[in-house]
Amino acid sequence: MIILLNEEMKSFEDLASSFASKELSPHREEGDRFPFGPFNNDILAKAHGVGFLCITLSEDLGGIGQGISALCVILECLCRMDASLGSIIFTSTLSQEIIIRAGREDVLRNITSSAGGPKDLLIAFPAYSNPSEHSSLPLATKGKNGPMLSGAVNYLVLAGIASRALIPARISGQDGYSFFLVDLSDAKVKISDPIFSLGLHACPAADVKLNNAEATLIGNEGEGKTYFEDASNMMNAAAAAMSLGIMRGAFEDALAYCNEREQGGWPIVNWSEMKMILADMAIKMNIANMAVSEACHAIEKKTYGWNVCAKAAALHVQESACHVTTDGIQALGGYGYMKDYGQEKRFRDAQQMKTLLGSSPMRKIEFIDQLNVEG
Amino acid sequence: MIRNSEVKSILNRFPKFGDFSIGLEYAPRLPKGIIKETKEIVAYVRKFNDEVVRPNALPLDRKTHEDPDYLPYDLMKKANDWGLYTMWIPKMFGGKGKNLPSASFAIEEMASACVGIANVVMVHYLGFSSLLTSFNMRVTNRIIKDVLEGEKNGGPCLIAFAITEPGAGTDVEDMELVDRGKVVCRAERVNGGYVINGRKVFISMGHVSEWTVFYAYTDLKKPSQAMIELVVRKGTRGFSLGRHEDKMGQRVCPASEIIFDDCFIPDDQVLIDSYSIKKFTGRSQEEVMMKHFDMLASSSKAGVCAMGVGVARGALEEALKFASETEVKGKLLINHEWAQCLLAEMYKNVVLGRLAYIEANNANSHRGIYEMLQMKPIFYYLKYMPKSFFKMLSPMLNMNMTTWAMSTMYLHMKKSEDVNLTSGTSSLAKVAGSDLGIRNCQLAMDLMGEAGLRHDQGVEKRLRDSKLLQIYEGSNQMNRVTLFKGLIAPFFSQARVFNEGREDGI
Ligand SMILES: Cc1cc2nc3c(=O)[nH]c(=O)nc-3n(C[C@H](O)[C@H](O)[C@H](O)COP(=O)(O)OP(=O)(O)OC[C@H]3O[C@@H](n4cnc5c(N)ncnc54)[C@H](O)[C@@H]3O)c2cc1C
Repeated sequence: MIILLNEEMKSFEDLASSFASKELSPHREEGDRFPFGPFNNDILAKAHGVGFLCITLSEDLGGIGQGISALCVILECLCRMDASLGSIIFTSTLSQEIIIRAGREDVLRNITSSAGGPKDLLIAFPAYSNPSEHSSLPLATKGKNGPMLSGAVNYLVLAGIASRALIPARISGQDGYSFFLVDLSDAKVKISDPIFSLGLHACPAADVKLNNAEATLIGNEGEGKTYFEDASNMMNAAAAAMSLGIMRGAFEDALAYCNEREQGGWPIVNWSEMKMILADMAIKMNIANMAVSEACHAIEKKTYGWNVCAKAAALHVQESACHVTTDGIQALGGYGYMKDYGQEKRFRDAQQMKTLLGSSPMRKIEFIDQLNVEG
Repeated sequence: MIRNSEVKSILNRFPKFGDFSIGLEYAPRLPKGIIKETKEIVAYVRKFNDEVVRPNALPLDRKTHEDPDYLPYDLMKKANDWGLYTMWIPKMFGGKGKNLPSASFAIEEMASACVGIANVVMVHYLGFSSLLTSFNMRVTNRIIKDVLEGEKNGGPCLIAFAITEPGAGTDVEDMELVDRGKVVCRAERVNGGYVINGRKVFISMGHVSEWTVFYAYTDLKKPSQAMIELVVRKGTRGFSLGRHEDKMGQRVCPASEIIFDDCFIPDDQVLIDSYSIKKFTGRSQEEVMMKHFDMLASSSKAGVCAMGVGVARGALEEALKFASETEVKGKLLINHEWAQCLLAEMYKNVVLGRLAYIEANNANSHRGIYEMLQMKPIFYYLKYMPKSFFKMLSPMLNMNMTTWAMSTMYLHMKKSEDVNLTSGTSSLAKVAGSDLGIRNCQLAMDLMGEAGLRHDQGVEKRLRDSKLLQIYEGSNQMNRVTLFKGLIAPFFSQARVFNEGREDGI
């Protein structure tokens, strides 16, 4: 990535790349069989071991104290091989960032200090939607020991593996929504079987039903939208970095295959139509690289319009990744459609990622509304 | 106003009027009975969808994820019971003889519910078409008898089609390429037949088909002049099934590796070889095989387009249902203007795709492989003659004279201008239909957001299924070249296809 300006970033890149090739690559196909095969706890434990589950948390909170650039570098390198672990990291980081913006570092400190294993660190979140778009969020009421939540949360990412979830809910009689932390092992929380989805199979998700489940209010009542938007403004760059990683993997595999596979008596890379396809892929990937780098730079320097820049990067890169991964399969012909090559998985994962933080048309509408308001 | 001779010469300039007004020219020749028959078929397939396809589409896809070795015997049995495996086999062979263009409408219907299941039913017709376009009436008649028998006794007898080899996918589809490719399926002439060695890959329904039509080469160094077409029965010594591929989509329809290991194929299972070509056509082997493929592909590519249209339509139906039931920001999605435009775009794609396969079939009916069966007198004759008449006729199909007459008409006399038109138009349809199939799935997924990601909503499966349409029946890149070759290059004498690399002696 262009943001690899310093040694520190380079060392994160090396770490994540070697993790991806040692730990993710050999298990990619097998991990993709979830929920019809086992979830690979070992990979999660190893990711925890190198600090990937708390990248942006300060050392004081038990993290490794990095900013958006390191997060993006790591996510890109992981997703280049297999995007599922990246999505686990993304989801939990999003939850952590919301909690920080809500001023509840104490909650995070408790979580990290008492964690017995990686699952205790993970905080589930409905990462494929913007709570503002939902007409039926769970309802929060006052119980004896504090707030209680009732209702359904669809597509709660990490439910089934995380110990806790950050849940948006409405408080009756109030506008907007608030965030609550819920213990997923509570008997009043019913978690469905894992959702069988298009992509990112090894990043589990489930539907959850809450029936007066005890919860902790995170931040101020009714301020959920502000925290979500603040956190997602930054996390847009991370979402874009993941899609960039997928694009890079798809392009590299396509290029290597086209140099090897012969049709018409020579490597297919020599057919000028194939060069066009590869060039389109490479151009989209390079532009995505610039967009992610620029977004990281803008976020870290808090330059004017950084949030707009990050959102535009996410929307653009996610769309591009769908095109690039489609071509990624095409370059391999019939083999690209088979599960023993990584391309079909990238195609599914890229399409799935396009919905991170909400459906892309709704995010586009919000984007223009935001620009309009901010001038 | 303008002289007749002038009209003709002006309209023959590029773009040639006749090439883009096929439907207009064909309309007066269309037997009206086809319309009623097609309507009945569409209604029948909709019923099949309600009773068989829709209830099975998602559960079976899920099952193939739980058990990647699953094979669709139950589905085949149902399709067989519904008479779908003989529906488009002409009456002269004992089939139900429904008009062949109606198969595309049926495919669209089935694919709108599940394109994988549509393939379980319709790939059999790719096998059948490869028999038919060999014009070897005797062998075709023999295989079809098994299919009919299978329908009668409830044990489906299907025909697979195998040309792709591990090292040669695109290369085996064009005679310009095959000599530069790495084909390995070798046929050695022996007393009374051929001995085959080699492998084929990605053969749809290979594991479950009774018969497989396949191609091999008597000379691996000059395959364009040594390609032969044969048919093998499951269980034949030396013929075995290898990998059952683990695919992204259309999982209910297996893709198989098939292996020939000193497999003897007797002469009465040879469809085309140098001897039959000499006997029946008087053309070169290369020319005959190219015509055979062009005619075969002209009908099957219209079918792939129809699959794309079906997927696109299914995605639209799914999106419409979702949009009319789901509120976003306090308002039903269907009442958001952006969603209305997106749905309109999807609708437009479906209609344009449908026009593309209709036009490809018009070309096939007017100047291609369906020409004879679609002629008014023949169509009505076949439609209304009693079954007993065709039974009486059947022995004639086994006569050399019949094979000679059909081969002469199609493989010898068919004008290259007609072949160019039908193959170019069907490639156009294939590319258009498959591209817009994917496009509509992506648009539906955009509209549905998080819900669209879930297997139980169906649309993500459609997306996975649809990607295959851009790959099989020739990659879309290959089909663009075929379109260029058939519809554009004839007007530009400088144009050469697949010429890159020749400068370097490749
Ligand atoms: C699920 C599935 C089912 C199938 N079913 C059948 C079946 O029933 N029977 C059967 O015989 N086959 C079948 N096929 C094979 C299918 O037709 C081939 O996969 C297809 O023709 C492409 O060949 P390939 O996979 O070898 O790709 P390749 O030919 O290796 O192509 C790889 C890439 O190179 C490009 N390329 C190759 N040559 C050129 C060129 N000259 N110019 C420009 N680009 C080029 C292609 O467009 C493609 O993008 C099936 C395939 C799949 C995946």
